[in-house]
Amino acid sequence: MKPQAWRMWLGRRWLLVLTALIFAWCVGRLGTQVLSHTPGSDPFAASFRFFGAAFSPAFSDQNPSLPADATPFLSRLGSDLLRTLRYALIATSMAIPAGLVLGFLASEQWWPTHRSRKLFNLIRWPVRIFLSLIRSIHELIWAIFFLSAFGDFPLTACLALALPFAGTLAKVFSEIMDEQGRSARLVITASGGSGAQGFLGAILPAALPDMITYSLYRFECALRSSAVLGFIGIETVGLSILRSFESTYYGEVWTALYILIITILLIEGSGFFIRKRLTQGKPRRKEVGDDFTEEDLRKTAPRDYLLRFAGVAWVVVIVSAYQFGERLIQPMPGAQQAERLSRFLTKITPDPIAPEKSVSSWAEREAAWQDGAGELGTWVADLWEKPGAEALANTVAMSVAAIILAGALAMILAPWALRTLATRTPLGMVSAGGGVHTAVGFLVRGLFVVTRAVPEYLYAFLLVGLMGPSAWPLVFALALHNVGILGRLWGEVVENQPPGNARAVIQVGGGRLQAFYSSLAPTALNRFLLFFFYRWESCMREATVLGMLGFSSLGYYISIQKSFRNYDDILFFSLLGASMIVVGDLVSDALRSKLRG
Amino acid sequence: MSVISVNDVSHQFGATRALSRVAFDIAPGEQVALIGASGSGKTTLLRLLGLQQKPSSGQILVLGCDLQSAKSEELRSTRARVGMLPQDLGLVANLRVIQNVVLGRSGRRNLITTVRDLLWPRKADREEIFQILARMGVAAKMYDRTDSLSGGQQQRVALSRTLYQGAEILLADEPLSAVDPARARDVLKLLTGLSNEQGSTLVVSLHQVALAREFFPRVIGLKAGEVVFDGQPDDAQLSSLYDL
Repeated sequence: MKPQAWRMWLGRRWLLVLTALIFAWCVGRLGTQVLSHTPGSDPFAASFRFFGAAFSPAFSDQNPSLPADATPFLSRLGSDLLRTLRYALIATSMAIPAGLVLGFLASEQWWPTHRSRKLFNLIRWPVRIFLSLIRSIHELIWAIFFLSAFGDFPLTACLALALPFAGTLAKVFSEIMDEQGRSARLVITASGGSGAQGFLGAILPAALPDMITYSLYRFECALRSSAVLGFIGIETVGLSILRSFESTYYGEVWTALYILIITILLIEGSGFFIRKRLTQGKPRRKEVGDDFTEEDLRKTAPRDYLLRFAGVAWVVVIVSAYQFGERLIQPMPGAQQAERLSRFLTKITPDPIAPEKSVSSWAEREAAWQDGAGELGTWVADLWEKPGAEALANTVAMSVAAIILAGALAMILAPWALRTLATRTPLGMVSAGGGVHTAVGFLVRGLFVVTRAVPEYLYAFLLVGLMGPSAWPLVFALALHNVGILGRLWGEVVENQPPGNARAVIQVGGGRLQAFYSSLAPTALNRFLLFFFYRWESCMREATVLGMLGFSSLGYYISIQKSFRNYDDILFFSLLGASMIVVGDLVSDALRSKLRG
Repeated sequence: MSVISVNDVSHQFGATRALSRVAFDIAPGEQVALIGASGSGKTTLLRLLGLQQKPSSGQILVLGCDLQSAKSEELRSTRARVGMLPQDLGLVANLRVIQNVVLGRSGRRNLITTVRDLLWPRKADREEIFQILARMGVAAKMYDRTDSLSGGQQQRVALSRTLYQGAEILLADEPLSAVDPARARDVLKLLTGLSNEQGSTLVVSLHQVALAREFFPRVIGLKAGEVVFDGQPDDAQLSSLYDL
C-alpha cells in the first residue's frame, strides 16, 4: 500500500493498532510461557482438584490430625472474618475524617475569591503531592513498614490501611467538591457570606451524597485489602486462605472465598441502597390539607428513618469495632518503643547515609548524612541499574497487559450486560425473543459482581499456585478483577447516556451488538478511556506488590529485601512504582480536564 | 440620591473587552431592564453591580459602597443588602426548601450560626420563612427537598431567599431563560410586584424587548459592551432595540 493508502486505512483505527503494539511489547517483556510447572508435576490434576472443590466447600476442618479440642473450622473462619471487618471498619473510620480535611485543603471551592488563586495554590499543591505519595504506596508496603516501626498489633494493620485510603478519599473528595456547580456558593458570597460559609452552605451539602457513597465503596475496598494483609502474616481471612491453600485443603479455601464474596456483595448492596435513597430523597407521604401551620409542615416533613437508622447503625458498628476484640495497642515501655522506632529509622535510611549503630542519636544521624551524602547518587544509580529499571519495566508491562486484557474482555461482555440492551425492549423498542438476552444479561452482570468482589492479590495467589510462578497468572489476576470493575463502570456510562443514534440502528433492522459497537460505544469512548486510565493506575499500584508472589518485578525485589529487612531498598522500589502512578495520575488529570472542556 | 452609580466603567477579560465606558445611575425603587444579545455584557454588568468583581477601570458605587476602596467588613455588609438571582437560581438541589431560604442571610451570620441555621433553624426564623413562602405560594413545600419542586416553584424559592435576605436591590440574571412564553409574564409580574411592595430596586437582564418595554419603566440597551439606549423606548425606537 502507498503511504496515503496506509494513512487512510489507519484513520480512526490508530487506537486499536497502538493498543496491539503496546500489548505485543508487554508479551515480549513478560515472555510467552503461561504455564511454568516443575517437571513431573501434573498441573491439570491440581487444577481439577481445586475447581472441583468449588462444588463441595468445607464446613468442618479438612485436617485430620487436628487435636479434638481445636477451635472448629467455621468458628475460626468466623473470627477471622470479624477481625477482617474490624480492621476495615477502623481503618475507614480513620481515613474518612483525614480524607475530609485533606480533601478540603486540596479543593479550591472554599477559596474566598478567584484572585486568591496564587496564595491558596501554595497550600493546595503540596497537599496534592502528599496525597499522591501516600496513596501510591500500597497498603501491604505500609504494613511492612508499620509492623517494623511500631510492632505487631491491630492498630498497625489499621494504620497501614488508613493511610493510603485517606489519600484516595481526599483526592476523590476534593474532585467531588470541585465538580459541584458554583452558582449556589456564588449566591451566598454575593449576599455577603464568606468563602467558608459558601463551602459549608452550598458545596458540602451538594457533595455529601456522593462523598458518603464513595466512602462506602472505600469501605468495601478496605475489606478486600484487610483480607490481603493476611498474606504478610496479619490474622485476617487472607491468612486462613493462605494456610488452607498451602495445605491443599481446597474445600476450606472455597468456603472462605464464598464467605468473603457474600460479605462484599452485602456491603455493595447496602451501598447501592443508600446511594439510591440519598440521591432520590423521600417523597412527602402525608399531606397537610389547605389550612396548615409551619408546625404541621415540620411534623409531617418527609424523613428517611431507614437512612437515619443506617447512619446510627454505622456509628454503633464503628464504636463497637474500637471497643471489642483484641486491644488495638499493646503497651510497650516508652524506651523500648523508641528503640524500635530508631532501629526502623536506621533501616529505612538509604544505606550510604545510615548511621553505623542501629539505635542512634540525631547527632549521629546528622554526621552519617554528612559523611555519606556524596554517595547517595551512586546508591540510587546502582539500584536503578540493577534491578530497578528492569523491575519497573516488568511491572509496567504487567499492569498494561492486564488492563488491555480487562478492557478487551469488558468491551466484549459489556453489550451483553447492559440493562438497556439485554432486555425484551432494547433501548425501549419492541423486539422479539428477548428472554434469552435478559437471562444472559443477568448472568454477565453476576459475573462482573463476583470477579470484582475478590481482591487481585487473592486471585494472583491462587493462580500462581495453579499455573506456576510466571508473570501471566499475575496479569490474569489483575485482568480478572478489573474486568468486573470496567464492565460495571462502562455499563453505567452507556446506560446513563441518551440512546441517540443507537435506536436508529435497531429501527433499520440492526441488532443489539450493532447498536452497541456502532453507536453507543463510540459515543462513550472518551469516558471509557477515562475509566481505562483510572483502572490502569490501580493496576500499576497492585502490580507493584503482586511481584511478591514470584515474578521479577518491583514486588519481587521488595519481597527479597523484606527478608533482609532492607527497608531503604523497599522504599526505593516502592517510590519507583509510585512515580509511575503519579505520572499516570497527571495523564488522567489532564485527560479529565480536557474532557470537561 | 441614587442607589447604584456607574461612572465610566470598562471591563476586560484578557484581550476581550466586555464593557466599554458604561455610565448610568439608578434611583431607589427604580425598575430597570438590561437588554442585549448574548455576549453584550449584561451578565458582566450584573456581576459588577453585585460587587463580585472590580471593574478594570471606572467607578461603581452600590448603596454608597465603592468596591475599589471598600474594606472587607463594609463590602460584606453592603453585599448583604444586594440580592442575586442567577440564571440557574443557585439553589442546592438536595437541601430542603427552608435550608435554601435560610442561607439568604449568610451575610449577617458567622460560620457557626450558618451551620446552626441549616441544621436547627430557630422558631422565629422558621415562622418568618413560612410567612415569606406563603406569600410566594410555596409554603406547603417548606420542608420538601428542593429538587422535588417544579421549575416555577424553584424560582419562587430563590426569590423567597432574597426576600428573607431583606435585599434592597435585586439583580436578576435572565430569569426568563428557562421559562415558557406563557409563564414569562407571571415571572415578571412577580418580580416587579415584589419590588413595588418592598420599595426595592430591581435590575433584570432580558432578551425579550417587548416584555422589557411592557414591565419596566426604564430599559438600558447594551451592544458589544456599550450602552446604546437608556430610557423608556417609544414605538419608533422599538425596532432598533430588536436589532441589539
